[in-house]
Amino acid sequence: MSWQRNDLVEWEGATMMKMTIEPVSAFSSLDVLVAIEEGLFSAEGLDLQMLSRESRDIRSTTEGTLTSPVTNQGRLQERGEATMFQG
Amino acid sequence: MIVCAALVVPPDSKVYVPQELANRKVGLDYGNGTAYAGLQMLEGAVPREAVTTCAAVIHPGERLAAMLRGEFEATVLQEPWITVAEKAGCRLVSTTFFHGTWVGGPDLDPALYAAFLRGVIQAVRRITADKRKYVSYFKHGWAAGDPAVQALTPDDFNLGRIQLREPTPIPEDEARWAWDWMASWGVLHGAFDAGAQINRKVEREAHELAFSAAT
Repeated sequence: MSWQRNDLVEWEGATMMKMTIEPVSAFSSLDVLVAIEEGLFSAEGLDLQMLSRESRDIRSTTEGTLTSPVTNQGRLQERGEATMFQG
Repeated sequence: MIVCAALVVPPDSKVYVPQELANRKVGLDYGNGTAYAGLQMLEGAVPREAVTTCAAVIHPGERLAAMLRGEFEATVLQEPWITVAEKAGCRLVSTTFFHGTWVGGPDLDPALYAAFLRGVIQAVRRITADKRKYVSYFKHGWAAGDPAVQALTPDDFNLGRIQLREPTPIPEDEARWAWDWMASWGVLHGAFDAGAQINRKVEREAHELAFSAAT
């Protein structure tokens, strides 16, 4: 799935663009959490959804090494279920 | 969003400055921005051959607990766990800041990305105007099940460690430096290719749309 302009939804009678992102944490995306909570994306015509990762998407960083790390970021985007993730 | 990362040692540690972490085991959440920030702080203080790290769990609260159990002598943390560590008597021996970056797919629509940026810009302005009001968000998500974080009050936070910035295009020099530095550690391979890493067309169109509407 890509971030397509034709992913539109109806919200309070208005047509909204829809986008799904991977989960965010306050320490790296306080701004995104506040924008969701205070309706700032909605005010821009954007219906922003956050997906949760499933257990199959989560591996421990202790399985990795410095030169071959294990990371969970981007798994949902790889499968086409999310449009953006935090790098 | 700008992320603060801190190298932290237990209350009874004999380490007071980052140079004293030479040849001491530092637990890092390999593969994450905090780990690379920790590595850069270490490398800024001691010769590379004296940097000694081990893999640690990604959850900062669990990583802090592992350090306090003695599994390693220091670790790197971000908020709100920096504040938790300080309340527990731990010492910060170094702090730094790094960018939290969003990664989009190759066919990102500039108009949609612009809408996202406009929402973020408004949020940055609100939070910057009253950081104390918004620190409660640090209790959500990962931190929701952590009693030590839930016990924090807004006054516990050092607001200087909470920094936000309106989104900007990625500076090519900084991207290249980051790539080359990671390659020097063997994390990335090959030469940096700005065109392969950054879609300047989408980035430029989205930022122009976002900032023309948000000013």
